Amino acid sequence: MVAPTASPAPASTVPVRPRRARTDDGVITVGRSRTGTILANTAGVVFSVLMLFPVYWVLNTAFKPADEVLALDPTFWPTSPTLDNFVSAFKAPLFLKDMLNGVIVTLLAVAGALVVGFLGALSIARFSFYGRKAIILVVLVVQLIPFLSLLIPLFLMLQSADLTNSLIGVSITYLVLILPYTVWTLRGFISGIPRELDEAAMIDGCTRGQVFWRIILPLTGPGLVATSVYGFIQAWNEFIIINTLNSPDKQNLMAWLLQNQTTRGTAWGPLMAGAIITSIPVVIFFLIIQRNIATGLTAGAVKG
Amino acid sequence: MSVVDSPATRRPNDPGRSQQNRVPGHAAPKRRRRGSGRTPWLLALPALLLIAGLLGYPLVRMVVLSFQNMRLRELLSGRTPPWVGFDQYTRVLSDSVFWAVVGRTVAFTVVSVLISVFFGLGIALLMRRVSRGVRLFMVVAMMFVWALPQLVAAQIFRWMTDSDFGVVNYLIDKLPGVNYQNHSWFVNPWQGWSVITTLVVWAGIPFLAITLNAGLTQVPKELLEAATVDGATPWQSLRNITLPILKPLIMIVTTLSVIWNFGLFTQAWVLRDGHPEPQFQTLATYSYTQAFGQSRYSLGSAIAVITVLLMLGVMIFYIKQMFRIGEVD
Repeated sequence: MVAPTASPAPASTVPVRPRRARTDDGVITVGRSRTGTILANTAGVVFSVLMLFPVYWVLNTAFKPADEVLALDPTFWPTSPTLDNFVSAFKAPLFLKDMLNGVIVTLLAVAGALVVGFLGALSIARFSFYGRKAIILVVLVVQLIPFLSLLIPLFLMLQSADLTNSLIGVSITYLVLILPYTVWTLRGFISGIPRELDEAAMIDGCTRGQVFWRIILPLTGPGLVATSVYGFIQAWNEFIIINTLNSPDKQNLMAWLLQNQTTRGTAWGPLMAGAIITSIPVVIFFLIIQRNIATGLTAGAVKG
Repeated sequence: MSVVDSPATRRPNDPGRSQQNRVPGHAAPKRRRRGSGRTPWLLALPALLLIAGLLGYPLVRMVVLSFQNMRLRELLSGRTPPWVGFDQYTRVLSDSVFWAVVGRTVAFTVVSVLISVFFGLGIALLMRRVSRGVRLFMVVAMMFVWALPQLVAAQIFRWMTDSDFGVVNYLIDKLPGVNYQNHSWFVNPWQGWSVITTLVVWAGIPFLAITLNAGLTQVPKELLEAATVDGATPWQSLRNITLPILKPLIMIVTTLSVIWNFGLFTQAWVLRDGHPEPQFQTLATYSYTQAFGQSRYSLGSAIAVITVLLMLGVMIFYIKQMFRIGEVD
């Protein structure tokens, strides 16, 4: 039997993704003046520069030596760029430990949500049964409950189960945090696989189990990647829950960044360096899957 | 391996295994039945159990808690907290501080969502007008902003508005006749909230602009060209063609923005160093501080219940939209 993860997913055969918007389609060229285009281009560039300024500023700060960071006349380009801030971030107490904690908690949560969520998605995407609508409704409703409001009862529950100040407790909490989105998104990907494929396979003698392993799982490959990356971002970025449930040595990097500020006098250089280190995996993953995030949230709102 | 070459002879070996893998511990022999039977429920069971146990039960527990009086003593001793009926609600609802928080949260939501959607739509329209290279630059810039974790973005803004070494003060101070050295942005709540709003709008524009731009590509080119040929001004085309077509999408992104901004926590929390002053409290931070700062778990729960109730209308609207979509396939 082919291992499902090893088999390359023939994504092109199945219209899993919603139609992409071609950037140049539908651009109106009638009745456009040259000066108008120049004005628009200028506005676009000014806007982009303004948007990027905070990003540029964090990079600029992180590579400056300590005395330049705290200068009354800030320099807009590090004259003597240094990695000192990154070194002191790595050397800072708990930085590496919290990084490891974050990785463990995130991976546990994503793996769990993926397995449980995939089964749930399969159920509502591929079967018609009494109660299906109810399950869909539940999945949608729970996504909207502000998770922060559930933090009080969750804290009390985990406290009585002796799961506060433990990575397991946080992992389970994160799993549930990303589960509804996982079910909902994977449902979309599975629905995108034509049922005729299943039926053809069953006619050829496949059982439901074989249909799952040989058709649905490989064809959902891209969807699984996108969904798990989104789950990763969610879990990696979370800090309120872990900061509430756990003590600093059992927290993640986001909470580390938060703790760092409450100590007297912020060490801005190392803090910004730490912020960059913390953001790098998220930014990379995000850029990979951004189309799926946007379409997942608003899928179908425009009738094409 | 293709589907067609899996011969029927394999059936005795494989299916049981697959079935077991599919639903751990439930190797149901019912698999050959064409209909659904128990299978869909078994598949959904783990997800439903987790949702029920860790989302559903806490939700109920939150409501129950709001009718009790859970303080630190009950937490430590593990005793059942005393029932107090509607006392927590009476206390919250008769507190002028609470109403100030509600008003502030609502005002912030309205203002920030209006500004965000206005700019998001404006940028989306601008993206249709600029040259290819500029559009790419805009998308890349917005992607970086969108990808930044909320906490990191908030920390960057805290650094930029630092009273002693912040670059914002430095730049404003450069303006002739303005002295902004050592200016503190959070003494005056209006100024503080404008920093928070700027942060939220800045972070929210990429989602709005990129989504709305994708929606704009669906507006039929022929319609707009015909309108232009017939002498419609760009403003008329926008009002009478583009916006009506875009309306469902605008509704849904606005709803999402309302839900997100109403739950504002991180930005206010980080910019105020984890101790928001009364004038920087929102419903989310207020509930949190009551529960975890003051150990008034029941009071915090009551505030959370009220928050959810206030959001209910918007949430139902969103669910209706999504359910309609979910029904399609």
